Amino acid sequence: MAMIEVEGLTKKYRDRVAIDALSFTIDEGTIVGFLGPNGAGKSTTMKILTGFMPATEGKAKVAGFDVFEKPIEAKRQIGYLPETPPLYPELTVRGFLKFVAELKGVRGKDVKSEIERVAKGTGITSELDRLNSALSKGYRQRVGIAQALIGNPKLLILDEPTEGLDPRQRNEVLQLIKGLAGKHTVVLSTHILAEVKTICEKVLIIHRGKIVANDTMAAISGGKENGLEEKFISLTST
Amino acid sequence: MRNVIAIAKKEMTVYLTTPWAWVVFTAVSFVSSGFFIALMERFKDIHDKVRLSQGGWDEVPADFQSLRNLTDGVVMPLFSTMLVVVLFIVPFLSARIFAEERRQKTFELLMTSPVTSTEIVLGKYLGSLAIVAATVGVTIVYPLVLTMFGSSFSATTSERTSTLEWPAVLLGFGALVLWGATVLAIGTFVSSLTESVIVAGLITFAICLLWMLIQALAPGAGEPVRGVLEYLSFEAQLRNPLRGVFDLKPLVFFLSVISAFLVLTHRSVESRRWV
Repeated sequence: MAMIEVEGLTKKYRDRVAIDALSFTIDEGTIVGFLGPNGAGKSTTMKILTGFMPATEGKAKVAGFDVFEKPIEAKRQIGYLPETPPLYPELTVRGFLKFVAELKGVRGKDVKSEIERVAKGTGITSELDRLNSALSKGYRQRVGIAQALIGNPKLLILDEPTEGLDPRQRNEVLQLIKGLAGKHTVVLSTHILAEVKTICEKVLIIHRGKIVANDTMAAISGGKENGLEEKFISLTST
Repeated sequence: MRNVIAIAKKEMTVYLTTPWAWVVFTAVSFVSSGFFIALMERFKDIHDKVRLSQGGWDEVPADFQSLRNLTDGVVMPLFSTMLVVVLFIVPFLSARIFAEERRQKTFELLMTSPVTSTEIVLGKYLGSLAIVAATVGVTIVYPLVLTMFGSSFSATTSERTSTLEWPAVLLGFGALVLWGATVLAIGTFVSSLTESVIVAGLITFAICLLWMLIQALAPGAGEPVRGVLEYLSFEAQLRNPLRGVFDLKPLVFFLSVISAFLVLTHRSVESRRWV
Protein backbone atom coordinates (compact mmCIF):
# COMPACT_ATOMS: atom_id res chain seq x y z
CA MET A 1 0.00 0.00 0.00
CA ALA A 2 1.22 3.50 -0.74
CA MET A 3 1.91 5.59 2.36
CA ILE A 4 2.55 8.79 0.44
CA GLU A 5 0.97 9.66 -2.90
CA VAL A 6 1.99 12.93 -4.49
CA GLU A 7 0.65 14.13 -7.78
CA GLY A 8 1.66 17.27 -9.66
CA LEU A 9 2.69 19.05 -6.47
CA THR A 10 3.85 22.60 -7.14
CA LYS A 11 4.84 25.36 -4.76
CA LYS A 12 5.57 28.88 -5.88
CA TYR A 13 6.91 31.65 -3.67
CA ARG A 14 5.72 34.67 -5.63
CA ASP A 15 7.48 34.09 -8.97
CA ARG A 16 10.08 31.61 -7.71
CA VAL A 17 9.17 27.98 -8.22
CA ALA A 18 10.34 25.91 -5.22
CA ILE A 19 8.95 22.58 -6.38
CA ASP A 20 7.65 21.95 -9.83
CA ALA A 21 4.92 19.34 -10.47
CA LEU A 22 6.36 16.59 -8.27
CA SER A 23 4.77 13.17 -8.59
CA PHE A 24 5.87 10.13 -6.63
CA THR A 25 4.62 7.42 -4.29
CA ILE A 26 6.29 5.89 -1.27
CA ASP A 27 5.33 2.40 -0.14
CA GLU A 28 4.45 1.46 3.39
CA GLY A 29 7.27 0.21 5.61
CA THR A 30 10.21 1.46 3.57
CA ILE A 31 13.00 3.83 4.55
CA VAL A 32 13.39 6.39 1.81
CA GLY A 33 16.31 8.75 1.43
CA PHE A 34 15.11 12.11 0.19
CA LEU A 35 18.16 13.72 -1.38
CA GLY A 36 19.03 16.92 -3.12
CA PRO A 37 21.43 19.84 -2.98
CA ASN A 38 20.65 22.69 -0.59
CA GLY A 39 17.68 24.66 -1.84
CA ALA A 40 16.42 21.86 -4.09
CA GLY A 41 12.97 21.88 -2.47
CA LYS A 42 13.33 19.10 0.10
CA SER A 43 12.14 21.09 3.09
CA THR A 44 9.32 22.67 1.07
CA THR A 45 8.04 19.22 0.07
CA MET A 46 8.17 18.03 3.68
CA LYS A 47 6.43 21.12 4.97
CA ILE A 48 3.61 20.54 2.50
CA LEU A 49 3.29 16.85 3.39
CA THR A 50 3.13 17.65 7.10
CA GLY A 51 0.46 20.27 6.55
CA PHE A 52 2.64 23.17 7.69
CA MET A 53 1.93 24.99 4.45
CA PRO A 54 -0.29 24.45 1.44
CA ALA A 55 0.84 23.77 -2.10
CA THR A 56 0.11 26.11 -4.97
CA GLU A 57 -1.13 23.21 -7.09
CA GLY A 58 -1.37 19.44 -6.99
CA LYS A 59 -2.46 16.70 -4.63
CA ALA A 60 -0.81 14.93 -1.72
CA LYS A 61 -2.14 12.04 0.32
CA VAL A 62 -0.74 10.48 3.48
CA ALA A 63 -2.05 7.00 4.37
CA GLY A 64 -4.98 7.70 2.07
CA PHE A 65 -5.89 11.07 3.64
CA ASP A 66 -5.66 14.17 1.50
CA VAL A 67 -3.42 16.63 3.37
CA PHE A 68 -5.42 19.64 2.16
CA GLU A 69 -8.93 18.28 2.51
CA LYS A 70 -8.49 16.20 5.66
CA PRO A 71 -5.51 17.86 7.34
CA ILE A 72 -6.25 16.68 10.89
CA GLU A 73 -6.55 13.00 9.89
CA ALA A 74 -3.44 13.24 7.73
CA LYS A 75 -1.46 14.89 10.54
CA ARG A 76 -2.45 12.08 12.90
CA GLN A 77 -0.53 9.65 10.68
CA ILE A 78 2.68 11.67 10.74
CA GLY A 79 5.55 12.11 13.15
CA TYR A 80 7.65 15.05 12.01
CA LEU A 81 11.08 16.21 13.01
CA PRO A 82 11.71 19.65 11.48
CA GLU A 83 15.19 20.87 10.63
CA THR A 84 15.49 22.46 14.08
CA PRO A 85 14.08 20.20 16.83
CA PRO A 86 11.01 22.07 18.10
CA LEU A 87 11.77 21.94 21.82
CA TYR A 88 10.39 24.34 24.42
CA PRO A 89 13.46 25.27 26.48
CA GLU A 90 11.34 25.97 29.56
CA LEU A 91 9.89 22.46 29.76
CA THR A 92 11.50 19.28 31.01
CA VAL A 93 11.86 16.47 28.50
CA ARG A 94 9.03 14.62 30.25
CA GLY A 95 6.79 17.69 30.31
CA PHE A 96 7.47 18.33 26.66
CA LEU A 97 6.72 14.75 25.60
CA LYS A 98 3.56 14.82 27.69
CA PHE A 99 2.43 17.96 25.87
CA VAL A 100 3.10 16.36 22.48
CA ALA A 101 1.23 13.21 23.55
CA GLU A 102 -1.79 15.31 24.52
CA LEU A 103 -1.70 17.16 21.21
CA LYS A 104 -1.53 13.90 19.33
CA GLY A 105 -4.53 12.59 21.19
CA VAL A 106 -2.82 9.83 23.19
CA ARG A 107 -5.33 8.77 25.84
CA GLY A 108 -4.72 10.10 29.36
CA LYS A 109 -3.94 6.76 30.96
CA ASP A 110 -1.55 5.76 28.18
CA VAL A 111 0.52 8.95 28.23
CA LYS A 112 2.98 7.77 30.86
CA SER A 113 3.71 4.43 29.23
CA GLU A 114 3.96 6.10 25.82
CA ILE A 115 6.59 8.54 27.12
CA GLU A 116 8.55 5.66 28.62
CA ARG A 117 8.32 3.70 25.39
CA VAL A 118 9.70 6.47 23.16
CA ALA A 119 12.28 7.49 25.75
CA LYS A 120 13.58 3.93 25.87
CA GLY A 121 13.58 3.68 22.11
CA THR A 122 15.62 6.85 21.70
CA GLY A 123 17.84 6.35 24.74
CA ILE A 124 16.75 9.44 26.66
CA THR A 125 15.27 7.76 29.76
CA SER A 126 18.04 9.20 31.95
CA GLU A 127 17.34 12.72 30.65
CA LEU A 128 13.57 12.78 31.17
CA ASP A 129 13.67 15.15 34.12
CA ARG A 130 16.17 17.59 32.70
CA LEU A 131 15.15 20.85 31.12
CA ASN A 132 15.22 20.90 27.33
CA SER A 133 17.47 23.96 27.50
CA ALA A 134 20.10 21.95 29.41
CA LEU A 135 20.43 19.20 26.81
CA SER A 136 23.40 18.65 24.51
CA LYS A 137 22.83 18.87 20.77
CA GLY A 138 22.80 15.08 20.41
CA TYR A 139 20.15 14.71 23.08
CA ARG A 140 18.10 17.54 21.63
CA GLN A 141 18.02 15.66 18.35
CA ARG A 142 16.99 12.47 20.14
CA VAL A 143 14.20 14.25 21.99
CA GLY A 144 13.13 15.61 18.60
CA ILE A 145 12.93 12.07 17.25
CA ALA A 146 11.18 10.89 20.44
CA GLN A 147 8.42 13.49 19.98
CA ALA A 148 7.99 12.35 16.37
CA LEU A 149 7.55 8.75 17.57
CA ILE A 150 4.84 9.60 20.09
CA GLY A 151 1.49 8.09 19.25
CA ASN A 152 3.19 5.50 17.05
CA PRO A 153 2.52 7.28 13.72
CA LYS A 154 2.65 5.26 10.53
CA LEU A 155 4.86 7.77 8.78
CA LEU A 156 7.97 9.50 10.09
CA ILE A 157 9.31 12.52 8.26
CA LEU A 158 12.77 13.48 9.45
CA ASP A 159 14.37 16.63 8.09
CA GLU A 160 18.17 16.38 8.40
CA PRO A 161 18.09 14.50 11.70
CA THR A 162 21.88 14.21 11.95
CA GLU A 163 22.70 17.83 11.18
CA GLY A 164 25.30 19.24 13.56
CA LEU A 165 26.01 16.01 15.39
CA ASP A 166 29.47 14.59 16.03
CA PRO A 167 30.37 11.32 14.25
CA ARG A 168 29.46 9.12 17.19
CA GLN A 169 26.10 10.79 17.81
CA ARG A 170 25.46 10.67 14.08
CA ASN A 171 26.03 6.94 14.04
CA GLU A 172 23.76 6.43 17.04
CA VAL A 173 20.92 8.41 15.51
CA LEU A 174 21.26 6.49 12.24
CA GLN A 175 21.12 3.16 14.03
CA LEU A 176 18.07 4.39 15.85
CA ILE A 177 16.35 5.25 12.57
CA LYS A 178 17.39 1.95 11.05
CA GLY A 179 15.73 0.18 13.97
CA LEU A 180 12.43 1.78 12.99
CA ALA A 181 12.31 -0.01 9.63
CA GLY A 182 9.30 -2.24 9.12
CA LYS A 183 7.32 -0.64 11.95
CA HIS A 184 7.18 2.77 10.31
CA THR A 185 7.59 4.30 6.90
CA VAL A 186 10.50 6.72 7.18
CA VAL A 187 11.29 9.63 4.89
CA LEU A 188 14.76 10.88 5.67
CA SER A 189 15.92 14.13 4.19
CA THR A 190 19.63 14.77 4.09
CA HIS A 191 22.46 15.87 1.87
CA ILE A 192 24.91 13.43 3.41
CA LEU A 193 25.04 10.51 1.02
CA ALA A 194 26.96 8.16 3.30
CA GLU A 195 24.01 8.17 5.69
CA VAL A 196 21.60 7.24 2.98
CA LYS A 197 23.81 4.36 1.90
CA THR A 198 23.81 3.00 5.44
CA ILE A 199 20.11 2.89 6.08
CA CYS A 200 17.89 3.61 3.08
CA GLU A 201 16.28 1.06 0.80
CA LYS A 202 14.96 3.57 -1.67
CA VAL A 203 16.25 6.89 -2.90
CA LEU A 204 14.44 9.92 -4.21
CA ILE A 205 16.64 12.67 -5.66
CA ILE A 206 15.23 16.13 -6.19
CA HIS A 207 17.00 18.92 -8.04
CA ARG A 208 15.72 22.44 -8.71
CA GLY A 209 12.23 21.41 -7.67
CA LYS A 210 12.02 18.38 -9.95
CA ILE A 211 12.48 14.68 -9.31
CA VAL A 212 15.53 13.41 -11.15
CA ALA A 213 15.72 9.91 -9.70
CA ASN A 214 13.33 7.60 -7.86
CA ASP A 215 14.52 4.03 -7.47
CA THR A 216 15.92 1.41 -5.13
CA MET A 217 19.36 1.94 -3.67
CA ALA A 218 20.77 -1.00 -5.59
CA ALA A 219 19.47 0.27 -8.93
CA ILE A 220 20.77 3.80 -8.43
CA SER A 221 24.23 2.87 -7.20
CA GLY A 222 24.51 0.10 -9.80
CA GLY A 223 26.20 -2.03 -7.16
CA LYS A 224 29.27 0.20 -7.15
CA GLU A 225 30.91 1.53 -4.00
CA ASN A 226 30.68 5.14 -5.14
CA GLY A 227 27.65 4.61 -7.36
CA LEU A 228 25.30 6.85 -5.39
CA GLU A 229 27.81 9.73 -5.24
CA GLU A 230 28.52 9.53 -8.96
CA LYS A 231 24.85 9.39 -9.85
CA PHE A 232 24.00 12.23 -7.47
CA ILE A 233 26.70 14.49 -8.89
CA SER A 234 25.83 13.73 -12.50
CA LEU A 235 22.11 14.31 -11.89
CA THR A 236 22.47 17.54 -9.93
CA SER A 237 25.35 19.21 -11.73
CA THR A 238 23.24 20.93 -14.38
CA MET B 1 -11.55 21.03 23.86
CA ARG B 2 -8.89 18.60 25.07
CA ASN B 3 -6.33 20.22 22.80
CA VAL B 4 -7.30 23.67 24.05
CA ILE B 5 -6.71 22.54 27.64
CA ALA B 6 -3.38 20.91 26.72
CA ILE B 7 -2.14 24.08 25.03
CA ALA B 8 -3.44 26.30 27.86
CA LYS B 9 -1.68 24.10 30.43
CA LYS B 10 1.57 24.25 28.49
CA GLU B 11 1.27 28.02 28.26
CA MET B 12 0.83 28.36 32.02
CA THR B 13 3.75 26.02 32.70
CA VAL B 14 6.00 28.12 30.47
CA TYR B 15 5.00 31.32 32.29
CA LEU B 16 5.50 29.80 35.72
CA THR B 17 8.83 28.06 35.03
CA THR B 18 10.41 31.23 33.64
CA PRO B 19 10.83 34.56 35.46
CA TRP B 20 8.11 36.20 33.30
CA ALA B 21 5.11 35.65 35.55
CA TRP B 22 7.05 35.97 38.81
CA VAL B 23 8.58 39.31 37.87
CA VAL B 24 5.12 40.57 36.98
CA PHE B 25 3.51 39.22 40.19
CA THR B 26 6.20 40.88 42.26
CA ALA B 27 6.00 44.18 40.40
CA VAL B 28 2.20 44.28 40.68
CA SER B 29 2.26 43.44 44.40
CA PHE B 30 4.87 46.11 45.02
CA VAL B 31 3.23 48.88 43.01
CA SER B 32 -0.33 48.14 44.17
CA SER B 33 0.65 48.01 47.84
CA GLY B 34 2.33 51.40 47.42
CA PHE B 35 -0.88 52.84 45.98
CA PHE B 36 -2.96 51.17 48.66
CA ILE B 37 -0.90 52.68 51.46
CA ALA B 38 -1.03 56.14 49.85
CA LEU B 39 -4.81 55.91 49.43
CA MET B 40 -5.23 54.78 53.03
CA GLU B 41 -3.12 57.72 54.23
CA ARG B 42 -5.29 60.15 52.32
CA PHE B 43 -8.41 58.47 53.69
CA LYS B 44 -7.10 58.70 57.24
CA ASP B 45 -6.05 62.35 56.87
CA ILE B 46 -9.43 63.48 55.67
CA HIS B 47 -11.24 61.55 58.40
CA ASP B 48 -8.96 63.06 61.04
CA LYS B 49 -9.70 66.53 59.69
CA VAL B 50 -13.44 65.88 59.68
CA ARG B 51 -13.32 64.66 63.26
CA LEU B 52 -11.51 67.80 64.47
CA SER B 53 -13.57 70.29 62.48
CA GLN B 54 -16.83 71.83 63.64
CA GLY B 55 -18.96 71.26 60.61
CA GLY B 56 -17.99 67.63 59.92
CA TRP B 57 -18.47 66.45 56.33
CA ASP B 58 -20.28 69.66 55.37
CA GLU B 59 -16.97 71.51 55.35
CA VAL B 60 -15.23 68.99 53.13
CA PRO B 61 -14.93 70.07 49.45
CA ALA B 62 -17.10 68.19 46.98
CA ASP B 63 -14.08 66.44 45.45
CA PHE B 64 -13.41 64.63 48.68
CA GLN B 65 -16.96 63.58 49.47
CA SER B 66 -16.27 60.14 48.02
CA LEU B 67 -13.82 59.57 50.87
CA ARG B 68 -16.67 59.07 53.30
CA ASN B 69 -16.46 55.30 52.98
CA LEU B 70 -13.70 52.79 52.20
CA THR B 71 -15.31 51.40 49.05
CA ASP B 72 -15.44 54.73 47.21
CA GLY B 73 -12.55 56.29 49.06
CA VAL B 74 -9.92 53.55 48.77
CA VAL B 75 -10.88 50.41 46.84
CA MET B 76 -12.36 51.98 43.71
CA PRO B 77 -9.54 54.56 43.30
CA LEU B 78 -7.09 51.68 43.73
CA PHE B 79 -8.78 49.73 40.93
CA SER B 80 -8.75 52.82 38.69
CA THR B 81 -5.02 53.18 39.25
CA MET B 82 -4.54 49.49 38.53
CA LEU B 83 -6.01 50.05 35.06
CA VAL B 84 -2.82 51.92 34.20
CA VAL B 85 -0.67 49.23 35.81
CA VAL B 86 -2.45 46.60 33.70
CA LEU B 87 -1.64 48.65 30.62
CA PHE B 88 2.04 48.35 31.46
CA ILE B 89 2.27 44.72 32.50
CA VAL B 90 -0.06 42.84 30.16
CA PRO B 91 1.87 43.73 26.96
CA PHE B 92 4.91 42.39 28.78
CA LEU B 93 3.11 39.07 29.36
CA SER B 94 1.43 38.83 25.97
CA ALA B 95 4.47 39.65 23.85
CA ARG B 96 5.88 36.15 23.89
CA ILE B 97 2.66 34.24 23.13
CA PHE B 98 3.34 33.69 19.42
CA ALA B 99 6.58 35.60 18.83
CA GLU B 100 8.59 33.30 21.10
CA GLU B 101 7.02 30.24 19.51
CA ARG B 102 8.21 31.38 16.10
CA ARG B 103 11.63 32.38 17.31
CA GLN B 104 12.17 28.96 18.94
CA LYS B 105 10.83 27.17 15.86
CA THR B 106 8.26 25.38 18.02
CA PHE B 107 5.50 26.93 15.94
CA GLU B 108 6.13 24.20 13.37
CA LEU B 109 5.33 21.57 16.00
CA LEU B 110 1.97 23.18 16.78
CA MET B 111 1.08 23.65 13.13
CA THR B 112 1.93 20.08 12.15
CA SER B 113 0.11 18.54 15.13
CA PRO B 114 -3.45 17.33 14.64
CA VAL B 115 -4.96 20.48 16.14
CA THR B 116 -6.84 23.31 14.47
CA SER B 117 -5.69 26.95 14.41
CA THR B 118 -8.75 27.86 16.48
CA GLU B 119 -7.64 25.45 19.20
CA ILE B 120 -4.13 26.91 19.14
CA VAL B 121 -5.38 30.50 19.47
CA LEU B 122 -7.95 29.68 22.19
CA GLY B 123 -5.53 27.50 24.17
CA LYS B 124 -2.85 30.13 24.14
CA TYR B 125 -5.25 32.94 24.98
CA LEU B 126 -6.96 31.10 27.84
CA GLY B 127 -3.67 29.90 29.35
CA SER B 128 -2.31 33.44 29.32
CA LEU B 129 -5.61 34.81 30.60
CA ALA B 130 -5.25 32.63 33.69
CA ILE B 131 -1.87 34.27 34.36
CA VAL B 132 -3.25 37.77 33.73
CA ALA B 133 -6.21 37.06 36.03
CA ALA B 134 -3.85 35.79 38.73
CA THR B 135 -1.73 38.92 38.36
CA VAL B 136 -4.70 41.24 38.61
CA GLY B 137 -6.06 38.95 41.33
CA VAL B 138 -3.28 40.11 43.63
CA THR B 139 -5.24 43.33 44.17
CA ILE B 140 -8.22 41.54 45.73
CA VAL B 141 -6.02 41.13 48.81
CA TYR B 142 -6.55 44.81 49.75
CA PRO B 143 -10.35 44.72 50.05
CA LEU B 144 -9.93 41.48 52.00
CA VAL B 145 -7.49 43.15 54.39
CA LEU B 146 -9.93 46.04 54.87
CA THR B 147 -12.78 43.64 55.63
CA MET B 148 -10.71 41.72 58.15
CA PHE B 149 -9.25 44.67 60.01
CA GLY B 150 -11.46 47.62 59.18
CA SER B 151 -14.72 48.64 60.77
CA SER B 152 -17.35 51.13 59.87
CA PHE B 153 -20.27 52.76 61.60
CA SER B 154 -23.41 54.21 60.23
CA ALA B 155 -23.33 58.03 60.37
CA THR B 156 -26.93 58.31 61.49
CA THR B 157 -27.42 55.45 63.95
CA SER B 158 -23.79 54.79 64.95
CA GLU B 159 -24.42 51.08 64.42
CA ARG B 160 -21.68 48.91 63.07
CA THR B 161 -22.09 48.31 59.32
CA SER B 162 -20.16 46.17 56.85
CA THR B 163 -16.79 47.71 56.03
CA LEU B 164 -17.09 47.43 52.26
CA GLU B 165 -19.84 47.24 49.73
CA TRP B 166 -18.78 43.92 48.31
CA PRO B 167 -21.07 43.90 45.25
CA ALA B 168 -19.49 47.17 44.14
CA VAL B 169 -15.98 45.91 44.92
CA LEU B 170 -16.50 42.74 42.91
CA LEU B 171 -17.93 44.73 40.03
CA GLY B 172 -14.85 46.97 39.99
CA PHE B 173 -12.59 43.95 40.19
CA GLY B 174 -14.46 42.32 37.32
CA ALA B 175 -13.96 45.47 35.24
CA LEU B 176 -10.24 45.34 35.95
CA VAL B 177 -10.00 41.69 34.84
CA LEU B 178 -12.05 42.48 31.74
CA TRP B 179 -9.66 45.29 30.82
CA GLY B 180 -6.71 42.92 31.36
CA ALA B 181 -8.37 40.34 29.09
CA THR B 182 -8.85 43.02 26.42
CA VAL B 183 -5.23 44.17 26.44
CA LEU B 184 -4.23 40.50 26.34
CA ALA B 185 -6.34 39.86 23.24
CA ILE B 186 -4.72 42.82 21.48
CA GLY B 187 -1.30 41.60 22.61
CA THR B 188 -1.98 38.09 21.36
CA PHE B 189 -2.80 39.43 17.93
CA VAL B 190 0.26 41.69 17.76
CA SER B 191 2.46 38.81 18.93
CA SER B 192 1.21 36.67 16.05
CA LEU B 193 2.54 39.24 13.59
CA THR B 194 6.19 39.33 14.56
CA GLU B 195 9.08 37.16 15.63
CA SER B 196 10.44 39.78 18.00
CA VAL B 197 9.15 39.71 21.56
CA ILE B 198 10.29 43.30 22.18
CA VAL B 199 8.56 44.65 19.08
CA ALA B 200 5.37 42.78 20.01
CA GLY B 201 5.41 44.22 23.54
CA LEU B 202 6.07 47.79 22.43
CA ILE B 203 3.44 47.80 19.70
CA THR B 204 0.80 46.38 22.05
CA PHE B 205 1.69 49.02 24.61
CA ALA B 206 1.52 51.77 21.98
CA ILE B 207 -1.91 50.63 20.74
CA CYS B 208 -3.34 50.47 24.23
CA LEU B 209 -1.78 53.78 25.26
CA LEU B 210 -3.31 55.51 22.23
CA TRP B 211 -6.59 53.91 23.11
CA MET B 212 -6.25 55.29 26.59
CA LEU B 213 -5.57 58.78 25.27
CA ILE B 214 -8.42 58.72 22.76
CA GLN B 215 -10.77 60.37 25.20
CA ALA B 216 -8.53 63.41 25.42
CA LEU B 217 -9.37 64.11 21.78
CA ALA B 218 -13.11 64.02 22.41
CA PRO B 219 -13.71 67.50 23.87
CA GLY B 220 -12.10 69.17 20.84
CA ALA B 221 -14.09 67.18 18.30
CA GLY B 222 -17.56 67.97 17.09
CA GLU B 223 -20.45 65.51 16.92
CA PRO B 224 -20.71 62.75 15.76
CA VAL B 225 -16.93 62.16 16.05
CA ARG B 226 -17.08 63.08 19.67
CA GLY B 227 -19.74 60.48 20.39
CA VAL B 228 -17.72 57.79 18.64
CA LEU B 229 -14.56 58.71 20.54
CA GLU B 230 -16.48 58.66 23.79
CA TYR B 231 -17.89 55.26 22.95
CA LEU B 232 -14.48 53.83 22.02
CA SER B 233 -12.75 55.21 25.06
CA PHE B 234 -12.26 52.40 27.53
CA GLU B 235 -12.16 54.88 30.38
CA ALA B 236 -15.66 56.02 29.54
CA GLN B 237 -16.74 52.39 29.20
CA LEU B 238 -15.29 51.46 32.58
CA ARG B 239 -16.65 54.52 34.39
CA ASN B 240 -19.88 52.82 35.50
CA PRO B 241 -18.49 49.53 36.79
CA LEU B 242 -15.75 51.43 38.61
CA ARG B 243 -18.43 53.46 40.36
CA GLY B 244 -20.13 50.25 41.38
CA VAL B 245 -22.93 50.65 38.83
CA PHE B 246 -23.75 47.49 36.90
CA ASP B 247 -24.05 48.10 33.19
CA LEU B 248 -24.25 45.58 30.38
CA LYS B 249 -22.82 47.97 27.78
CA PRO B 250 -19.14 47.79 28.79
CA LEU B 251 -19.37 44.00 29.06
CA VAL B 252 -20.68 43.76 25.51
CA PHE B 253 -18.14 46.34 24.34
CA PHE B 254 -15.07 44.59 25.77
CA LEU B 255 -16.23 41.09 24.84
CA SER B 256 -16.67 42.33 21.26
CA VAL B 257 -13.17 43.81 21.21
CA ILE B 258 -11.72 40.55 22.62
CA SER B 259 -13.58 38.41 20.06
CA ALA B 260 -12.55 40.69 17.21
CA PHE B 261 -8.86 40.46 18.11
CA LEU B 262 -9.02 36.69 18.60
CA VAL B 263 -10.59 36.33 15.15
CA LEU B 264 -7.81 38.51 13.74
CA THR B 265 -5.22 36.34 15.51
CA HIS B 266 -6.77 33.25 13.98
CA ARG B 267 -6.56 34.83 10.53
CA SER B 268 -2.96 35.81 11.14
CA VAL B 269 -1.99 32.30 12.30
CA GLU B 270 -3.72 30.76 9.29
CA SER B 271 -2.02 33.18 6.92
CA ARG B 272 1.38 32.04 8.18
CA ARG B 273 0.74 28.89 6.22
CA TRP B 274 0.50 30.88 3.02
CA VAL B 275 3.85 32.62 2.97
